[in-house]
Amino acid sequence: MKGDMYIARSPDKETADKAECGGAVTALLKFALESKKVEAVVAVKARDGNRYDGVAVVITDPKDLIETAGSLHCASPNIARFLKEYLDGAFNSKIAVVAKPCDAKAIIELAKRNQIKLDNLLIIGLNCTGTLPSAKAKSLFKEQFEVEPADVVGEDIEGNELIIRLKDGSEKKKDLAELEEKGYGRRENCRRCETNIPVMADIACGKWGTTDKDSTFIELCSDKGADFFEAAIEGGAIKVDQPSGNAVESRKKKDQAAVESAQKWQEKDFATLEEMSAEEKFSYWSEQFSHCIKCYGCRDACPICYCEVCFLEAERGFIPPGEVPPHMLFPMVRITHVMDSCVNCGQCQDACAMDIPISRLIFMLSKKIGAIFKHEPGMDVTALPPLRTVTDQELGQEGVEVTF
Amino acid sequence: MEEFEPKIIGFFCNWCSYTGADLAGTSRTKYPPNVRIIRLMCSGRVDERLIAKAFTAGADGVLVCGCHPGDCHYQKGNLNARRRVAGLKPFLEAIGIGGERLRLEWISASEGPKVAETVKSFTQTIKKLGPSPLKKEAE
Ligand SMILES: Cc1cc2nc3c(=O)[nH]c(=O)nc-3n(C[C@H](O)[C@H](O)[C@H](O)COP(=O)(O)OP(=O)(O)OC[C@H]3O[C@@H](n4cnc5c(N)ncnc54)[C@H](O)[C@@H]3O)c2cc1C
Ligand code: SF4
Ligand code: SF4
Ligand code: SF4
Ligand code: FES
Repeated sequence: MKGDMYIARSPDKETADKAECGGAVTALLKFALESKKVEAVVAVKARDGNRYDGVAVVITDPKDLIETAGSLHCASPNIARFLKEYLDGAFNSKIAVVAKPCDAKAIIELAKRNQIKLDNLLIIGLNCTGTLPSAKAKSLFKEQFEVEPADVVGEDIEGNELIIRLKDGSEKKKDLAELEEKGYGRRENCRRCETNIPVMADIACGKWGTTDKDSTFIELCSDKGADFFEAAIEGGAIKVDQPSGNAVESRKKKDQAAVESAQKWQEKDFATLEEMSAEEKFSYWSEQFSHCIKCYGCRDACPICYCEVCFLEAERGFIPPGEVPPHMLFPMVRITHVMDSCVNCGQCQDACAMDIPISRLIFMLSKKIGAIFKHEPGMDVTALPPLRTVTDQELGQEGVEVTF
Repeated sequence: MEEFEPKIIGFFCNWCSYTGADLAGTSRTKYPPNVRIIRLMCSGRVDERLIAKAFTAGADGVLVCGCHPGDCHYQKGNLNARRRVAGLKPFLEAIGIGGERLRLEWISASEGPKVAETVKSFTQTIKKLGPSPLKKEAE
């Protein structure tokens, strides 16, 4: 039933060994394919075995799923855009997809815009407190941990520590906050991300609430997810126990601690943009935008941007063509078109060749706009973009003020 | 030094505020000449792009006027404008242009005096704020 919680693992030893925390996720994906509940799975694997190059893949043969088992903490593939661009947004096939909270939120925003068909998707959510930028992660491992990046076989964030596991079975740990002070650590958007448990997915899976590396804590977040999970138990595809009260409590505490840390980062990040005077803000952003090389990377990566013929293209006759840096209208349009729905996935900033802190700005605006309209992007497919949607209640209201 | 005379772009709805402005004109109501009025079929036509374009073209302020809620000929155009303006203010604030440079008012066809008052007070506000920083770029 929706709301139920379990401790789960794969009954298959090979899967459990290769997987991150007992292989429940891989087992569920396998069940989805074998029971023909879906035609394809979208998961993430290390391209050519390179753990710093995690890519989204489509899998239709259950035998191949083992290649996707395990968590890649130095990869942030754009799963929502992948579904939309390469799999027709699941309009023509049933698909099970793994998703971190930002991936799940982006999927929901695309579904609001009719770019993904949620009815055809089974979203298996993964808890997440952050991914490391892949290039920077390698230098972090070399410079701070003094290990060869190729020798790292696993990473974990536990409380305040970043732990890495090496080929030879040993572990090394360092204080995450200290590393982040030095400019290493998680992606900027991840540090300030306060959605750690993907309750907007059909099933939320994570290590929090377990004490060993052999099982995963599961919460059933939708009726669809619950029906599927119960069928997997019945079919013997997955082994489950009931979580103890302590397990539930410990998961909750870890989530709370992560949320608090994220909120501190938000304050810090936003303060860098807010503590300037109006003149300083203007010259800061003029300077930042003057670095733009108009590569369209941010637009192409953003799960909120989906327009067939974008207003940033010369053919729309809006932005003067052939100018680099582009006219100020370019960043203005790009930002204002997505600022009511940004899910802080960080894909735009990752894509930006010129390191312009656009995700920081757009997410800050999305927070401010969310506060005005009581809206949180990515959580509920029926909550439409607030700058585009007049509600029936507003229509019926008398004496509407000009302000909100 | 010459006093700063702001350039204000007014996006006025054809059915209400534009007619209201006409009325102000025919009744010879005096108001500052700082507003260049652009007539739209509905305040709902106003979106981020129009407002951004006005500012990058050198406007010191943008005034959007629509029918009172309930009176919009297209039912909810004015309510759309209201949401967009409310959402754009934090953006203009964040990049240093200033949210106060954008204003929305409901003005009906019979409210000629309200047109004059609104333009007067908005011109005052913009005078106090000084020229838009984007203007220097536009020139
Ligand atoms: C980046 C990341 C951070 C995490 N942080 C936490 C945390 O802080 N707290 C917590 O409780 N749990 C966290 N988890 C979840 C946890 O690591 C396990 O994935 C979960 O417990 C399921 O274990 P499993 O053995 O059933 O998964 P597996 O059977 O090993 O399956 C893991 C699945 O994750 C997918 N995957 C791997 N890397 C990525 C990626 N970068 N993006 C999207 N999907 C990916 C794989 O495709 C695979 O399908 C995190 C997972 C990831 C990927
Ligand atoms: S604006 Fe950037 S951070 Fe926000 S949803 Fe788009 S890509 Fe993600
Ligand atoms: S910038 Fe605007 S027009 Fe272009 S794709 Fe994004 S939302 Fe659409
Ligand atoms: S990714 Fe960066 S450089 Fe490229 S268009 Fe966007 S802001 Fe400009
Ligand atoms: S018709 Fe006047 S605001 Fe819509």
